[in-house]
Amino acid sequence: MAYKYYKDNRAYIEALKKTGDLVVVNDEVDWDLEMGAIVRRMCERKSPAAHFKKIKDYPDFEALGAPMATHRRLAIAFGLDPATPIPQISAEYLKRTTGSPVKPKIIDRKDAPCKEIVWSGEDANLFNLPAPMVHDGDGGRYICTWHFVVAKDYDTDFVNWGMYRQMAFDEKTMVGPVLAFSDMGKMFYNKYVPRNLPMPFATVISPDPLSAIASSAPSPLPEAEFTGMLMGEPVEVVKCETCDLYVPAHAEIIIEGVVLPNVMIDESPFGEYTGYRTSPREKRTVYRVKAITMRKKSILAVSNMGVPTDEGQLLRSFSLGLEMERMLKDQGIPVTGVYMLPESTHHLVVVGVKPIYANIATQIGQLVFGSKLGPWFHLVVVVDDTTDIYNKDEIIHALSTKCNPATGIRITEHGVGTPLNPFVSPEQRKYGAAPKVIFDCTFPLNWPASELPVKVAFNSVYPKEIQEKVLSKWNQYGFKD
Amino acid sequence: MAAYDTFIAKEFKDVQEDEEMLTVIRDLTPGKAKYRSTYAKIRVSKDPKKYPETLWVRLGRGQLIETPCSMQIMEFVDVIPKGM
Ligand SMILES: Cc1cc2nc3c(=O)[nH]c(=O)nc-3n(C[C@H](O)[C@H](O)[C@H](O)COP(=O)(O)O)c2cc1C
Repeated sequence: MAYKYYKDNRAYIEALKKTGDLVVVNDEVDWDLEMGAIVRRMCERKSPAAHFKKIKDYPDFEALGAPMATHRRLAIAFGLDPATPIPQISAEYLKRTTGSPVKPKIIDRKDAPCKEIVWSGEDANLFNLPAPMVHDGDGGRYICTWHFVVAKDYDTDFVNWGMYRQMAFDEKTMVGPVLAFSDMGKMFYNKYVPRNLPMPFATVISPDPLSAIASSAPSPLPEAEFTGMLMGEPVEVVKCETCDLYVPAHAEIIIEGVVLPNVMIDESPFGEYTGYRTSPREKRTVYRVKAITMRKKSILAVSNMGVPTDEGQLLRSFSLGLEMERMLKDQGIPVTGVYMLPESTHHLVVVGVKPIYANIATQIGQLVFGSKLGPWFHLVVVVDDTTDIYNKDEIIHALSTKCNPATGIRITEHGVGTPLNPFVSPEQRKYGAAPKVIFDCTFPLNWPASELPVKVAFNSVYPKEIQEKVLSKWNQYGFKD
Repeated sequence: MAAYDTFIAKEFKDVQEDEEMLTVIRDLTPGKAKYRSTYAKIRVSKDPKKYPETLWVRLGRGQLIETPCSMQIMEFVDVIPKGM
């Protein structure tokens, strides 16, 4: 049975408009910094998304700014009430993605909106798309900030969708970081590059919201099938013009071409999800463009990464945390929940656990740092089940009162990191190395019960009947909250 | 005098003046192709009048050097293998 979802960004925009989560901007905006500045400010103020109707120099295009930078918009993407609390959105994600993968459905090109306009040859020119200059000082115009790259493994049927940023270098060339540990990195550097073979790719710009969530989620499943699980029915795909790859038929813009082996060109700097421009101008992976297809009056989605909160933080924190929870539970660890704080730029994760044996915090930290998800964060805070993992006040309280500075902080010096890490040395960034730390905020199990500090909180030191009485009479006492 | 910019991986004081170097320059001419990048062999001077083109310099994380240089473009270079 299909879940409630939006097949394309146009339906999603209508839904956002209805709930007051979108502003329609009718004034012309300049793609050169103005649009970026607006979206940045929106992210910092947690404003509604923006539908830009007029873009300077590009009368045939519109744009969608900050498509999913709030939990309200994330809830709407799942067809939920915008006020749905985070734990319930999380439960919906886990419910939908537990079970069997759902293979995509191939549809005819005549039914595929993304084929309404086809540019090939000289017309397939990146500067005919309204690629924004997102931040002043970026290495170029980032055409792809809310998108994913489709590519197929060389010698298996595995097809990957991954959100990897892409900058327009010239009319026919894009460039971007394809990290060696990413799924596309593994297939490209391990299989195509040694054979000196170009790898066909298709970049899907402005995909429907659930495909976007799937492409940036660290799930081991093929993302097209993962999207089908999120939708509760197959995602509709259509064959590319220039290769055998399939792309979501209802996306706004598709760029097709090949990833070149054994040639790299300069990319970045770029405002990144950490809130800094950290990774340096460097030689990165080259994409050559063969064809561009799109919908009429297509709507380019623009995510603007910087200080919190943008999609790079909100969405990645959401799916990283939940995939971690799934992995820990699969391993039989008695976790009560996992929450990665978006404000931490997905660097800090809080794991709630029933501490039933010694050093469980260390085990949790080692598992998550050692997993495929590990490179993206370095702070693991393990709390017991008396702490609400979604409540920042309670997390700070647990960290400040239960974590012993001498015995509760466990540092691993040689972890896997990314070049985007602001706090490591330039040398460590270059080689993607990073230290990691676990904060054990559970009281040691060998302390006698009589010595255990007792938490003094409304819901822990009063009898149930007193709590219930106080709660039921709260407003009667005169309190408005 | 057309305006371009470039990114350098080193400190500004270490830029070698008047020596041919291969780098990426971006064309800052307003319009749809603004910021188009290209590899080129160029000569740079910190004297903004010495060479025909204006060159703004940015450091590796995009920090702009406030005063422009001048540049002579010796040759555009295509680093993408032919036929790709
Ligand atoms: C807005 C946004 C931009 C991203 N840009 C990049 C990027 O440039 N390079 C990268 O490796 N990951 C990037 N990511 C993270 C990947 O999308 C993420 O790791 C995803 O799971 C793809 O991983 P895979 O390689 O495991 O398939 C970005 C995520 C978001 C939400």
